[in-house]
Amino acid sequence: MDSAMPTWFKKALILIVAAIVVGSISAQLRSSRRAVGYEPARTADGKPDLSGVWQALNTANFDIQSHPARPALALIQAPPRTGVAGQVRATPTDLPAPAVRALGAVGAVPAGEGVVDGDEIPYQPWAAAKKKENFEHWLERDPEIKCFMPGVPRATYMPYPFQILQGTDKILIAYEFAGTTRTIHMDKVGDSPSPTWMGWSRGRWDGDTLVVDVTDFNDQTWFDRAGNFHSDALHIVERYTAVSPYHLMYEVTVEDPKVFTRPWTMRMPLYRRAEKDKRILEYKCVEFVEEAMYGHLGVVDPATGHANK
Amino acid sequence: MRNRSVAVVLTLAAAAGIAAFALASAARNSTAAAASDSPGYTAARTAWGDPDFQGVWRYEAVIALERPARFAGREFLTDAEIAQIEQTEKDQEARRLAGVEGEAVGRQSVAASPIRGNEYNSFWQDHGRPRKVYKQTSLITDPRDGLIPYTPDAQKADGRAAARYGVGPYESYLDPDTGERCLTDGVTGMMWQGPNGGHNQIVQSPGYVTILHEEYRDRRIIPVDGRPHGKIRQWFGDSVGHWEGDTLVVDTTNFVDKTHYEWASIWTRPSETLHLVERFRRTDADTLEYTITVEDPMTFVKPWTAVIPISRIPDGTQIYEYACHEGNYAMPNLLSGARADAAKKPTGR
Repeated sequence: MDSAMPTWFKKALILIVAAIVVGSISAQLRSSRRAVGYEPARTADGKPDLSGVWQALNTANFDIQSHPARPALALIQAPPRTGVAGQVRATPTDLPAPAVRALGAVGAVPAGEGVVDGDEIPYQPWAAAKKKENFEHWLERDPEIKCFMPGVPRATYMPYPFQILQGTDKILIAYEFAGTTRTIHMDKVGDSPSPTWMGWSRGRWDGDTLVVDVTDFNDQTWFDRAGNFHSDALHIVERYTAVSPYHLMYEVTVEDPKVFTRPWTMRMPLYRRAEKDKRILEYKCVEFVEEAMYGHLGVVDPATGHANK
Repeated sequence: MRNRSVAVVLTLAAAAGIAAFALASAARNSTAAAASDSPGYTAARTAWGDPDFQGVWRYEAVIALERPARFAGREFLTDAEIAQIEQTEKDQEARRLAGVEGEAVGRQSVAASPIRGNEYNSFWQDHGRPRKVYKQTSLITDPRDGLIPYTPDAQKADGRAAARYGVGPYESYLDPDTGERCLTDGVTGMMWQGPNGGHNQIVQSPGYVTILHEEYRDRRIIPVDGRPHGKIRQWFGDSVGHWEGDTLVVDTTNFVDKTHYEWASIWTRPSETLHLVERFRRTDADTLEYTITVEDPMTFVKPWTAVIPISRIPDGTQIYEYACHEGNYAMPNLLSGARADAAKKPTGR
C-alpha cells in the first residue's frame, strides 16, 4: 500500500498536513492571546475597555504563598511550660505579641491559598534568610504599617479597591490605599529620573491584554505582610485581561537577579466592584500613623498631653 | 471687561502710530488676552466627544491671589508696570542661568522667601523660566477690591498662621502645617500652587476627569456622568462635574472639617460648610481658564471668585512620583530640634 503511493503524492500529502498543523497552531496562539474567547467591551479607539473599580479578593496581602491561619501578624513563642511538673511541650506555641494582643480575632491572620505559580518563591539562600527575619520583625519593618506607598504588585492585591481610568495616551491606576496613583505611559516617554516606590510603568497592548512593564523601583517595598521582599533590581511585567464583564485576570512576572534565582509568576482574578456609582474614596493614612511614628519624638506627646521623657 | 481693556490698549497703540513693532510687542505682552478666547480657537475634543483638557498644566502667572496694597483701587496694571515686571522676571532668569547662588525665578529676592533666613529654600520657589505677566492686579475678581472677604475670626486665624509659618512652635507633629506633614495644601490651592510640585496632569476617560497633582500625589477623580453627590466627607470633599458647552463645571461639597489643623494659608482649609464651584475652560491650545467660586460662611462673609490662567506645559513633560511622607526626614528633625530647644530653656513652656 505504502509503496503503491507515488512519491509526488506523499510529498503533497506531507505539505498539506504540515500546512494544516502550522495553521492550527498559529490559530491557537492567536486565540490564547484572547485568553478565554471573551469579547471585551471596547473604548472609542477600539482598545479593550478595562475601566472601572476593581479589587482582589484573596489573602495575598497577608502572604502570597499558601499559609495556615495564625493568631497574629506579630508573634512570640510561648515558653515551653505546661503547668505540669516535669512535662515540656513537644511543639512550641505561637502567641500574639504584646503590641497586637488586644486586637484578638481582628488581629489574627486567615488561612489562604497561595497566588504564586508552584507556590514557591526562588530566593537566593541569603535572601531566604532575610525573608524569614522580615517575617519575625514584621511590626518594625512592614512599610504598609507606616502608610508608605505599597509598590507593585502589592498595591493590586491589598484589601482596598482601585480604579482603572483609560485616557487617550495614559492609563491611570488609582489605588485607594495611601492615595497612590500609577501613570501607565501608553505613549513614548523618557526614562525615570530616579528610583521610585511605585515604579515607572510603560504599557502596550498584546492582543486584548494590557501588558505593563515596570522598572525603576527602590528596594523599600514588600510583596506582603509575610516579609517577602525584593531589591532595586526588581522588574515587573503585568498582564491585565478582561475575562468577563466582572473579572480581569491579573498575571504578574517578577524578576530580580539580586534576590531570586529565576523569574517567577503570580496570578489572580480581580473582581469588579459592581456597586452603583462606586468611587475610590480618600484614604490619607499619613495622619493615622503619625502618632506611632512621631508621637514619642516631640516636646509633648499628643496622645497623653504630657512631655516626652 | 478684560476684552474691552485689551481692545482699548491695542487701539490706542495703533492710534499713536507706533506701527507694527509696537503692536507685535503689545500682543506679546498683553497676555491678559490669554484669559479670553483666542479668535478661531476650536476646543479640541476627545475620541468620545468631550472637550479635551488632557496634558500637563501649571500656574505660571505673576498675579497674586489677593490684590497687593500698592495696586489698591485698580484692577489692571499700567503698561509701564507690565514692562517692569517682565524685566524683573528676565533679570531673575539671567541671574539663575548665570548660577547666582540662591537665585530663583519667581520672586523678588531671597529676602522675600516666606522661610526666614534660609537660602537653601530658594529652589522650592524656582519656576525655571520667566513667569507670564498679565494685566490683572489680582486673581480675585469678585469682590472688586480683590481681597478675600474673611470673617473677623478667620482674619485673626490667618494672621496667626502667617506669623508661625516656618517659625513654630513645634511641640508635636500636630503643630507643623498640613503641607509640612505631607498631608496636603488643600483642594482650593491645588491648581495654581506654583513651582514646587505644582504640575497637574489631566487625564480624561468616558465619564471622568482626573487631575493628578504632583505634590503630595493629590488626586481628584471627578465623575462627569450625572451622578449626585455622595454622603462621605473627605479632605477633598465630594466632587461631581458636568459639561456646559466647552466648560467643565465641578461642584464640590461634603468637605470634612480640618480647621483644627495648622494651614499655611487659612483660605485653603476645608470646613463642613465649604462649597466650591470650579469652571475649567480652554481658551486656546496653551491656556486653561480656571475660575473658582468659594463659599464658606464659617470663613468668609460672602462668596468670592478668582479667575486663574493656567499654562500648558509642552508635550513630553511628565509628572513624577512625590514621596513626601516616605521621605519626611524634616518631621523627626524638626521635633528633635524643638526638644533640644526646650531642654535648653526648661522654664520656657
